[in-house]
Amino acid sequence: MKTRIGTLLIAVMAACLIATCVYGRDDFPRPVGAVNDFAGVLSPRVARSMESLAREVLEKTRTSVVVVTLKEIGGDDPGDYANRLYEAWGIGVKGEDKGVLIFLAVQERRIRIETGYGVEGILPDGLVGDILDRNVIPYLKKGDYDSGLSSAMVAVSSVIAKDAGVSLTGAPQTRRQPASQQKKGSSLFSLIMLFIVMSLLLGTRQGRRMLPFILLMLLMGGRRGGGGFGGFGGGFGGFGGGMSGGGGAGRGF
Amino acid sequence: MTKGKRNLLIAVGVIVLVLLMFYSGIKGTYNSFVALDEGVKASWAQVENQLQRRYDLIPNLVETVKGFAAQEKEVFIGVTEARSKVGGAKSIPDKIAANNQLTGALSRLLVTVERYPDIKSNQNFIRLQDELAGTENRIAVERRRYNESVRGYNVRIRVFPANVLAGMFGFTKAEFFEVPESAQAAPEVKF
Repeated sequence: MKTRIGTLLIAVMAACLIATCVYGRDDFPRPVGAVNDFAGVLSPRVARSMESLAREVLEKTRTSVVVVTLKEIGGDDPGDYANRLYEAWGIGVKGEDKGVLIFLAVQERRIRIETGYGVEGILPDGLVGDILDRNVIPYLKKGDYDSGLSSAMVAVSSVIAKDAGVSLTGAPQTRRQPASQQKKGSSLFSLIMLFIVMSLLLGTRQGRRMLPFILLMLLMGGRRGGGGFGGFGGGFGGFGGGMSGGGGAGRGF
Repeated sequence: MTKGKRNLLIAVGVIVLVLLMFYSGIKGTYNSFVALDEGVKASWAQVENQLQRRYDLIPNLVETVKGFAAQEKEVFIGVTEARSKVGGAKSIPDKIAANNQLTGALSRLLVTVERYPDIKSNQNFIRLQDELAGTENRIAVERRRYNESVRGYNVRIRVFPANVLAGMFGFTKAEFFEVPESAQAAPEVKF
């Protein structure tokens, strides 16, 4: 009887651990940095310079400018998709909500610049639409994604920098921003769970007997999560639980 | 200590313990109602912010369009009437109904604009249209969040045994912000 309860307890804890490992609400891809070229339309050189500009903007103004390209979004409304992605990633710091998402769906031929609550004042929808019409759509129409997306980023960044009263040089000064709170909380929880489960697994006889089974479960769970404990945001610290209320503008091209 | 005294002490202890559990159970449930109810109110306030934003935007939009298509009187009257109804609505269901009507009137206006290429290329109009589209999008986002919090709250106050407590303290179901089919479909335009 005692053995059975112990086994059950361990199984439940293992299940919790797996649940925290594969944590993630929608099946959005995980961010790899400020520039997430999942569709592979940017040249590496342009992507690198955009990444470093985004880091500089983040350091100087606490505003996250994030770029995402996707091959297709499967018939979803681009505005709705961008908003949910924004919320899932938590672009910007929670409460400040200073963030911009430049979102491109290649197959749907749609671009959207989604603004967080905190930048709605400096980037009103009309201005965002204007940026798209002037600086972005002409390039995208020609299939020049490099110029289109980088000039979108430059235009947005310069509005943000001007408002904050800083000038941008194109090169960040320090390497890293502190990691987001959201990530800290969940990884601390996982660590404690891991510690408890491990001590139970290795410290009791029935635990040792169950070890291979639990490892198998972890492996199966981990595959779905794609990376388990992998870093969130690839060193770009602009993901802190920020929200967007659906501001911004979108265009087809 | 006699046997009877000890039994009495145990009985009192058990009763106190049960009462304490009962109290903390009720307290937890009641407080969760309050928290969810406040969540619903906060998200409704966000919806109202965006509805107000659209309300404020309309006169400007109407003026701009009038400059190009003054003869489309019916459409302007429709928008203005719907807007004044929104201004007069007091209760949440009234506000929802009035705003759904305004959504319809506005989309009729935008369809009318399609017939005037001059407006569509006007810089001022393009900006206003972006603002309006952004506002509609914001309304949609806040509506989704509001409905999510209403769903959470309604489920909480209706499941057993919390529903008994909700009835006692007068927590009633919150209203969803539903968009009627007619407002979602593209409006018809008579030529």
